[in-house]
Amino acid sequence: MRIRAAVSAALASAGILLVGWQSGVHVADTRSAAAAAATGNQASGTGTTDSSGTASSGSSGSGGSAAGSSGSTGTAGAAGAAGAAAKAGGTYDGEVVQTRFGTVQVQIIVKSGQITDVTALKLTDAEGRSMQISNYAAPILRDEVLQAQSANVQTVGGATVTSDAYLTSLQAALDAANL
Amino acid sequence: MQQTSEPTHRLRARTFTCMGTVISLTVPTDAHKPPQAAADELEAATAVVERLFTELDSVFSLYRPDSEASRLVRGELALPAASAEMRARYEEAAEWRLLTEGAFTPERPDGGLDLSGIVKGHAIREAGTSLLALGMANWCLNAGGDVLVSGSPSPGTDVPWWAGIVDPADRRTLLAGFPLGGGFSAPSFAPAGLAPLSGKTADGGTRVALATSGSAERGDHIWSATAGAVEFLQVSVAAADVVTADVLATAIVAGGVSMLNRATVMWDIEALAVRANGELLATGGFRR
Repeated sequence: MRIRAAVSAALASAGILLVGWQSGVHVADTRSAAAAAATGNQASGTGTTDSSGTASSGSSGSGGSAAGSSGSTGTAGAAGAAGAAAKAGGTYDGEVVQTRFGTVQVQIIVKSGQITDVTALKLTDAEGRSMQISNYAAPILRDEVLQAQSANVQTVGGATVTSDAYLTSLQAALDAANL
Repeated sequence: MQQTSEPTHRLRARTFTCMGTVISLTVPTDAHKPPQAAADELEAATAVVERLFTELDSVFSLYRPDSEASRLVRGELALPAASAEMRARYEEAAEWRLLTEGAFTPERPDGGLDLSGIVKGHAIREAGTSLLALGMANWCLNAGGDVLVSGSPSPGTDVPWWAGIVDPADRRTLLAGFPLGGGFSAPSFAPAGLAPLSGKTADGGTRVALATSGSAERGDHIWSATAGAVEFLQVSVAAADVVTADVLATAIVAGGVSMLNRATVMWDIEALAVRANGELLATGGFRR
């Protein structure tokens, strides 16, 4: 039980980690075969459509259920096949999860109860195109941001200026030009 | 460069002073109206916006000893006995405190009530509602650096309003630009939560509000939740509504990188943050 909980938690973590991935990896769907080979049973996630997948971490009956979920896109959560066989290791697929960034599914490789690899099986949007699943704010160089010169903007944003500071601000210059 | 064409309409602007800053209302001139009628319309609209700001300021200003907010702080008035407007803003601010895990808070460290972090955003939101109710489809409202737009500076086109963001290291120069409004100004246009994040144009089109907070900002309503060195000099957030943009910009300045990451996961926003050392963190919508 402890191991299953750990694997489930790790899968949930992997789901969260995925949100940080930007690549459009689209691996062929090998989940059924791999999962069957590994354990012969598979739990379906019982979570909500929460994008984090954490809601499924405690899915009940996953060990005893013999009915493998086919990974229908309606189910959520990253809970995958675990069970006692997890100790021996193997390859496990998470459920297909609908997130606000698109459809996500991960695969993990377990050796001696430790996750040794996480792979994205599905990372696509509704049209099947690869897409960025993360809106993470990443480091960026100054010449990589959307540029603007005061001559071609219609308004100027910035931390609140006092009415005194406004007098010498770029916004004041724009307003004066449009009076 | 996202900007594809300059606005073809001449813009007209009116300003007034309130809440310790200057509020600017900018509209494109309507070629189908006599110049005097267009000017009168802008004057009337500015008057409506100014009255709205002034009324809210008279209730919420902590710089006016006779305001309801000041009486609350002095303990002369209890929150349950306060006006419906006061209680509504407190409720809204308290909800944001929960959502931001305390990074945004309506209270000062000493426990005193301070709603100034939400009042300006609320005033801009209400002003925008009033302008739409007046039948104005194309306008840009800038209140001390927080911006809400509707439509386009070139009516009849999908050209967005282009907002510059000042460089906190040199306020005479612009650090970046961001398109607001334009073709798809209605926030409900995008399917909830599933808008393609990689498309900058579609992205910018769904955002009509841009708010910026700085750690050296006037009216120190930002209390550092990290209790250490300030991580960000300035944070700009673009969103579909101005209160969300304003509150989250404030919360990210107070809560640092962890709040920035939380905000970009939890809300459909674009963010540009300037670190204390001048380095930038940006979501995809701020990339060229």
